[in-house]
Amino acid sequence: MSKRIAVLVFPGTNSEDETTRLLRDCGGDAHLVHWSRAQTLPSYDAYVLPGGFAYEDRIRAGAIAAHDAAMDHVIAAAQEGKLVLGICNGAQILLEAGLVPGTGEIRRPTAAFTKNAPAPHFVCAHVHVKLRVDPTRSAMTAALPRDAVIPAWTANGEGRLAASAEHLHELEAGSHVAFVYAHEDGSVDDSASPNQSALGVAGLVNREGNVLALMPHPERDAWTFNHPDRRRGDAMLATSGGAVFFRSFVEALQRT
Amino acid sequence: MRRCNNRAALRERRLAEIAGVALRSDELARIRDRLGREPSAVELHAFDAQWSEHCSYKSSRHLLKKLPTSGTAVVLGPAEDSGILHLGEWKGERYGIVIAHESHNHPSQVVPFEGAATGIGGIVRDVLCMGAELIAVADPLRFGRIEDPHSHQRYVAQGVVDGISAYGNAIGVPNIAGDLYFDERFDDNCLVNVVAMGIVKESDVIHSYAPPGADGWDIVLVGKATDPSGFGGASFSSLTLDAQDEDSNKGAVQVPDPFLKSVIMRASYRVFRFLREQGLTVGFKDLGAGGIMGCSAEIVSAGGYGARIDLDAVNVAIEGMRPEVIAVGETQERLLWVVPPTVTPELLRIYNDEYTLPEIAYNARATRIGSVTAEKRYVLTHGGQSVMDVDIEFLTGSIRDELPFGELPARDVTSERPLVTGVQLDELIERVLAHPDVCSRAPLYRRYDSVVRGCTVIPRGAAGAGVLAPVPGSPLGVALAVAGNPRYSHINVRLAAEHAVYEAVRKVVATGARAIGLTDCLNFGNPRKVDHYSELVAAIDGLARASEHFHTPFVSGNVSLYNESAGGRAIPGSAIVACVGVLNDLATVVTMPLKSAGSVLYLIGAPQGALGGSVLLDVLGRSDEHLPRIDYETIAAQHDLMYEATQARLFRSARAIGNGGLLTALCEAAFATMRKGRAVVGAQIDDAFQWTHGTVGDLEACFGESGGFVVEVAADDVESFEGLADEVSGVYEIGVTIDRPMLVVDDQAFDLHRLQEIWSAPLREVYP
Amino acid sequence: MNRAVAINLKIPDNAAYTALVTLRRLGIHVMRVERSEIVRFANAPEPRTLAAAVEADESLYNPNKHRVTVLDDDAPRSGEVWIVQDDADRPVGWRLYSAPGVPAGPDVLAQAAERLLCNPAIERAIFSK
Repeated sequence: MSKRIAVLVFPGTNSEDETTRLLRDCGGDAHLVHWSRAQTLPSYDAYVLPGGFAYEDRIRAGAIAAHDAAMDHVIAAAQEGKLVLGICNGAQILLEAGLVPGTGEIRRPTAAFTKNAPAPHFVCAHVHVKLRVDPTRSAMTAALPRDAVIPAWTANGEGRLAASAEHLHELEAGSHVAFVYAHEDGSVDDSASPNQSALGVAGLVNREGNVLALMPHPERDAWTFNHPDRRRGDAMLATSGGAVFFRSFVEALQRT
Repeated sequence: MRRCNNRAALRERRLAEIAGVALRSDELARIRDRLGREPSAVELHAFDAQWSEHCSYKSSRHLLKKLPTSGTAVVLGPAEDSGILHLGEWKGERYGIVIAHESHNHPSQVVPFEGAATGIGGIVRDVLCMGAELIAVADPLRFGRIEDPHSHQRYVAQGVVDGISAYGNAIGVPNIAGDLYFDERFDDNCLVNVVAMGIVKESDVIHSYAPPGADGWDIVLVGKATDPSGFGGASFSSLTLDAQDEDSNKGAVQVPDPFLKSVIMRASYRVFRFLREQGLTVGFKDLGAGGIMGCSAEIVSAGGYGARIDLDAVNVAIEGMRPEVIAVGETQERLLWVVPPTVTPELLRIYNDEYTLPEIAYNARATRIGSVTAEKRYVLTHGGQSVMDVDIEFLTGSIRDELPFGELPARDVTSERPLVTGVQLDELIERVLAHPDVCSRAPLYRRYDSVVRGCTVIPRGAAGAGVLAPVPGSPLGVALAVAGNPRYSHINVRLAAEHAVYEAVRKVVATGARAIGLTDCLNFGNPRKVDHYSELVAAIDGLARASEHFHTPFVSGNVSLYNESAGGRAIPGSAIVACVGVLNDLATVVTMPLKSAGSVLYLIGAPQGALGGSVLLDVLGRSDEHLPRIDYETIAAQHDLMYEATQARLFRSARAIGNGGLLTALCEAAFATMRKGRAVVGAQIDDAFQWTHGTVGDLEACFGESGGFVVEVAADDVESFEGLADEVSGVYEIGVTIDRPMLVVDDQAFDLHRLQEIWSAPLREVYP
Repeated sequence: MNRAVAINLKIPDNAAYTALVTLRRLGIHVMRVERSEIVRFANAPEPRTLAAAVEADESLYNPNKHRVTVLDDDAPRSGEVWIVQDDADRPVGWRLYSAPGVPAGPDVLAQAAERLLCNPAIERAIFSK
């Protein structure tokens, strides 16, 4: 019996189709689970919260969705050790729900992906993220090479990690910083980040490694035709680039 | 002003004033005659809306008949809310590209954020209601002078982009094309044009009219609760209406709700699936000008029916709204279905239960409001009484204002002598690259999500056209570009319209796509002023001419009139065009950035001596009335060459030439190579005489805006390319690509890093 | 003297409506929510002059959609909480009502801030004195 992935759709989610398509292209048995069918969530084996504007980011990005009935199920699943991945808006929801870094209480966030800096505007740009932790830190990243550099697109207005100085220190000390913004060649400096995210954070993982919040979208540079640098003769419809991350996720699920 | 010289006319005038409608005396008389009685308040408002310029196109419809609208690629011409062009076949299914184009100029000038956002909202509905899935939007924008950070123009320029960004990003439709111009004549009248594109299987198209056999079918309204915005007194951040709400929103601000729209879109896609599974043919239309009345009247009369609607059944935001407000108000985010009664329960279930519309926005829902009738009358009831009962064909039939126009005066044509200036080339290049119509638009389009949905092949700003792979798993590609240069409109509106078509077409062609169809929006002044109206007539002529020659029919369009300042000065008559192209195989797509040193660069498109309307003349503070000619036959051959060469994969890169001419195009292609950790590819161009042979001056060759392309061909492919180009006129070898970050022109070298900074800087201040 | 000005929408405020619905879903029974941008002025002129100055600034006020209220104090009104992220930024003001014209009490307000309106990781809530 293959493991089933729920791709959650909140009101306002908008990246569910390509996320589901990519998971399937990477061998996953992924299914869209709509907010009015949240009661079916416990029957799934892993959960992906895709990008979008759940509730149009009203009040704060992810703030309202964190209270949805669907999240009750996701929280329970995360506490059972099931894999939970949040991308962009999904990442914001996981932080608002307290699941990432998960060092505090449920629905008492200790960090946030908040308004970009220096200018508090939506930014859409091609970026790279670098795996900052040992691949085995999280089941989801275990199939990635050490220091993997993955292409992605940042597309958000609230992508900057913010937290108190002490908490940022805890994030580092606890190896919660899973991904940082990097240049294509793997070098890391301030200019690699599109939004002045604290510690250059692009993705955070919880203590157990089963919940990951990733701000940029690898699924938007995941087929060859998405790449800015595809070459003549490349197979345009094949997966590549950011798909490597999703393959690792699917493999992790198949191992559980 | 006409004198009312009879009592009936005076009475009608009085009624109209009381009702607050703008119908003219002659129109009021027609209504009274036809009805055989005084019209009710609801009827007055209905005719006012239906016969307004915006709804009826009374000043332009007969002119628009001149535009070519048919061709082999046309699945559906401009008769409905969107046009449809044939994309191709995949796995036995025929796919169509649904395309619509509109303007939201006046609202954006007053409340830029809401005006622009609701513009996107409206154009998206036009595509949705054809049964299509939204795949892209584009935004051609024109603003006034924005140098002063405290000017209204600056406020408009920022608010509009914020509005388009907020709406398009939230609903998850990528922005893949657009453009931006600045001109002082837009100071009081910005232009906010929007284009939306969708994908549909041709067998799944849903039409905007009640189909055969629809007598007795249900009319189902979907979306936001109808509210009195525009008529006053709406606010529902409260469960009860407070005194404070009484004076709210007496202005005509329509409120965008992309959150609600996002849910409505997805619920509608679910309905499309249901209809497909059931094999049902129904009608679907979006509400715009004229509200419930306009939409329901049109959807049924287009099918040869009438309708009977109970306004009490409409979901409203507050109780006690007057019937004319319910009937004609333009609340956003609403659509209308015409379905068999057996289908209605499932429709309601999908929207209200599965997609929980009532929880998304106050009293949002799908609700049955009436029936389609065989009798061709349009009847509205309210409080158990009939408040409107008219002959439907009289209501929706076309009315016509044959207004006077003249031939536009011919301008003196100055002779073509090479431009001479004391300004050095390095300074010229820098001034051109910094020009507001040339400088990098990245600060603006970075605010737009260009890659949501995962189908983007060429995102916004990476070329002159955006390209998508809209059918997952299929190698079919679609390209979209926009154009319409106000500097050219100053000089010759007819030729400017032709150039708009040419530019949009060649930007599509540069990606390797075949241009198959067009949309247009005609943004002009006051049709009751002969000068302004004559420009409209001339522009339509120009569009028609170019469309014929390029074999790209118009499948959708819009007219926006009365774009004039309080002082009566009109905007530059602006025909803005969008072009759709198709790629049979994504593998043949060509991108803009130069790829490697050692390639040969060719110019395709003979340089001309005419510099009228060019950025070059503008930076020199000069003017000329001589716009570049468009030689359609030669261009057709060049475009065929482009297609053959891209099919044979002979181009490493290609760029359509536009504002700022050849050197600008080369710079942009080189700038695109300048990323951290990547080798910059520069260009070295021969002394222009080598390819012009003195037929035009050097500056004309470098900066002239006569169109064409600059293409990069690998050394190994030169022979094949030159073989294809053999019989084509206007193809010149002009230089090579180099492995240094320099633009070299003859013996002068310019630092690309410096030029890129000059090009990138200007709009950063406006869009930080 | 320091003054504060509340600028809110006189056209329907979607964000305020969704906040209302969500608070009720969380069991916090308010009847009305008003959301404002709070602009604070040090050494402010008297109220009428201040209001006029704000209304003259297009980046703050558009007569077609905004309403300006000069507050009595440089502090939240009864039933109102100000949410501040960085001190340099303008606070967002949320004013809650338990019944028409009846501002919500401090307990309800504190609950609303804690459960929804304020993210303690990055924001702080300011209540009236």
